Amino acid sequence: MPLSNNKVADDGTSTQPLQEGKALVDSLIKAVACYRHLASCIGGCTDNSSLRRDLWQTRERAQTLALSCRNHLTARLRDKTLPEAERKETEQLWVAFSSCLELLHADMCKVFTMVKQFSLANNSTMVQTGIQGGTTEVAARALSLHGLQEAGDGPQTSSMEGQELSQLEQEIAQVDRTLEDMELKVNVLRWTVEALGPQYADPVSTDSASLALLSIDEEAAQGFCSRSQMFAAMMLCGVAIFAVVLSVCVVFLV
Amino acid sequence: MQDPKSGVKSQTQRLVITTIPHAITGEDIVAWIVNRFKIDATEARAMGTMMVAFGYIYPLQDHKRLILKPDTSLYRFQTPYFWPAQQWPVEDTDYAIYLAKRNIRKKGMLELYEQEQYNSLYKWMNHKWDFIVMQAKEQYRAGKERKKPDRVVFDCQERAYWVVHRPPVRNIWTEYRPYGQFKPRVKSSVSIGAIVKYATTYKEHDPLLHSCLPSNPWLTDDLVLIKHLIKVECWTFSFGELLMDPRGRADFRLFLKKEFSGENLAFWEACEDLKWGAAETMKEKAQQIYKTFLARGAPRWINIDGKTMDITVKGLAHPHCYVLDAAQTHIYMLMKKDSYGRYLKSPVFKETQRKAIAPEPHRFTRRPSLSPIILRQQEEEQKAKLAASGPVDITQLCRFTAPVPHLAVYTGICEAQSTASPGLMTLPNSAACPSPISVAIDSTPASERRFDGNGGPSSSHFPSIAEASVSEEENQTPALKSRMTLSLSRLLRRGCNGPSVFASLSPKCAVVSGGGKVQPLGVEPLAQPQPRRIANFFQIKVDIPPECRIYPIDSEDEEDDSPNAARGGVKEIICPWETVTKKDGAG
Repeated sequence: MPLSNNKVADDGTSTQPLQEGKALVDSLIKAVACYRHLASCIGGCTDNSSLRRDLWQTRERAQTLALSCRNHLTARLRDKTLPEAERKETEQLWVAFSSCLELLHADMCKVFTMVKQFSLANNSTMVQTGIQGGTTEVAARALSLHGLQEAGDGPQTSSMEGQELSQLEQEIAQVDRTLEDMELKVNVLRWTVEALGPQYADPVSTDSASLALLSIDEEAAQGFCSRSQMFAAMMLCGVAIFAVVLSVCVVFLV
Repeated sequence: MQDPKSGVKSQTQRLVITTIPHAITGEDIVAWIVNRFKIDATEARAMGTMMVAFGYIYPLQDHKRLILKPDTSLYRFQTPYFWPAQQWPVEDTDYAIYLAKRNIRKKGMLELYEQEQYNSLYKWMNHKWDFIVMQAKEQYRAGKERKKPDRVVFDCQERAYWVVHRPPVRNIWTEYRPYGQFKPRVKSSVSIGAIVKYATTYKEHDPLLHSCLPSNPWLTDDLVLIKHLIKVECWTFSFGELLMDPRGRADFRLFLKKEFSGENLAFWEACEDLKWGAAETMKEKAQQIYKTFLARGAPRWINIDGKTMDITVKGLAHPHCYVLDAAQTHIYMLMKKDSYGRYLKSPVFKETQRKAIAPEPHRFTRRPSLSPIILRQQEEEQKAKLAASGPVDITQLCRFTAPVPHLAVYTGICEAQSTASPGLMTLPNSAACPSPISVAIDSTPASERRFDGNGGPSSSHFPSIAEASVSEEENQTPALKSRMTLSLSRLLRRGCNGPSVFASLSPKCAVVSGGGKVQPLGVEPLAQPQPRRIANFFQIKVDIPPECRIYPIDSEDEEDDSPNAARGGVKEIICPWETVTKKDGAG
């Protein structure tokens, strides 16, 4: 999915808002995906203040995106002069947006419950899940920031946690309201929206390394050393060609 | 459990290049549980398996089987996000995203059951599909941002989560084949046709759909065994219906006795008893049946073909409760094809049909019926009282009250005379009346109340018609007994008026067949029913507890409220003795 944050001004007014909407929804989806990754680390051994901070930041970002997305899409859908094809596309975006928001809402609720139970102050209750690394990269991706941000906060006190909890609660309520508003303001019939994309997403990249790691557990073993095999084959071919060339030269010279 | 000192020993999982910490072996887990909870190894293993099955610990190898293997196989703790403790709903959207993600990672990696689920999710979540695919991609890309071992761990965690919540479908029916496994497959058109046929046939006779049967089993507990026309009609539908209904079976038995082929039914019943009866007596029963029905020269020898006989005899060497199944089926078919048809045309059945009355709608009141235990107790009390009480017609007593089987068949008045068996009436409206009298009256057991039918009469019983019609008009439900006396008294009073009574009465009856015939025969049964009615009358009177006799006045007052235009409200004290004397005078 091309991330088009830049507004293309010369495409005509009709496609521009559409692109804009699409971009917004894409960013939101990305933020929600990252949020989920972060949320899965709560309560694990890597749960620390930086994780919580990352969570918070990602959440903020997601919410601002959601707000702007909502405004944009609502405005478009209420526009009666919208041509039919664009309306269909906007409706699809709308459905994607609302599902995304539901996902975010669910994740936020889960985080809320877990944060209550796994307080940072009591580090020993964290589950050893085998995760080792941090999640700053994921957060950075969500925030579309390049470069890592180091954790700067000190140990959190329980009062700060309490504050965060209440804030989180408020935010959850806000997302709730947003969802409700959406349903009331715009009437999009979900069953009329059809999927445009393919049923199976194309493989983005075949990461043979991680595949190999996982497939140790599964029955089929991956050919992990295919790279080295190819390299060796290429070497051989190179040597063979070189030999041929040499012999030809010898033949000519002689 | 994770305590580095006292917890489960933590190890590292070694994959090809990387090592991932926090892996624990199965045997360590079991040992730790044994230690901690002071239980034995099997129980610890069971407990561990439960933990795995719920998803708190997941296996790293053989991830599809959620059991705890007490060996060196590795496990890991699940992250709290995927714990089932919080009981968050498992969303299909998430599952779809997960499957899409797996597909992105490697095409064709989905298993068959996952494939099927993916397709069905695609169908019904089609409107969200773009979102699902995009989200899957984004999650995959976000995962790439993490370190490789973390990515692997996360994938394992997610996979374990979904194995718990969307378990692989195992075809258990291939593993375990119970008796009757190979059921023939029927085309749906055929089976639907059968259902339609059944529904149309039984529509009229269903107590749920047609609320006009007295003592609707859905509404009261009383076993009102009035043989009414509708039920009798049911017997004509199929042989099975006839046999299932105990009264039908009794009737059929009677018919077979006349035809001297009763042993078939007896054999069938014996086989049923063998199948459903107590298991300890099964062998003896089987032997008994063989001696009685199957052996050569047996007293009630049944006629089955040689092959079936061979099978049965062989089976009897090692008897089990289904050993006589083949023979029973054979006899059943024989009866069905042969005797059943003749039964339906026989005079016995026609007689039954005639005697059956069509029921009248039962007007239920709030009070539930009493339990059979209480009824039986009261019955005993009644009997005791009757035995104790004085100068009552002993003859009637002996004849009609002494044997009081609860499940006697009501066959109307005529049968009471024609057959020796007491024709006991059971009140259809036994589920009572609100007035206090009714408490006492209801306490008289259902079997003792000889109430002449509330329903529309059958064609040839005019007393019943008359009484039924009279009672029909009294639409409210005050004490039935008093209604009975009232109606009888009125009838007797008007007995002198003769046919006009019947003529006026008959149109009121909701009778289809009786209407035409009433008039010409009206005069005739006048003389006849009287002695019968006396008998009935005495029956009624006798069965009432002494207190009740006083009450008819009150109930009559009540009754008179009900509109009874043709008759007018005649107020008078009904005392059964007096009426008898009056009747004697009038008759």
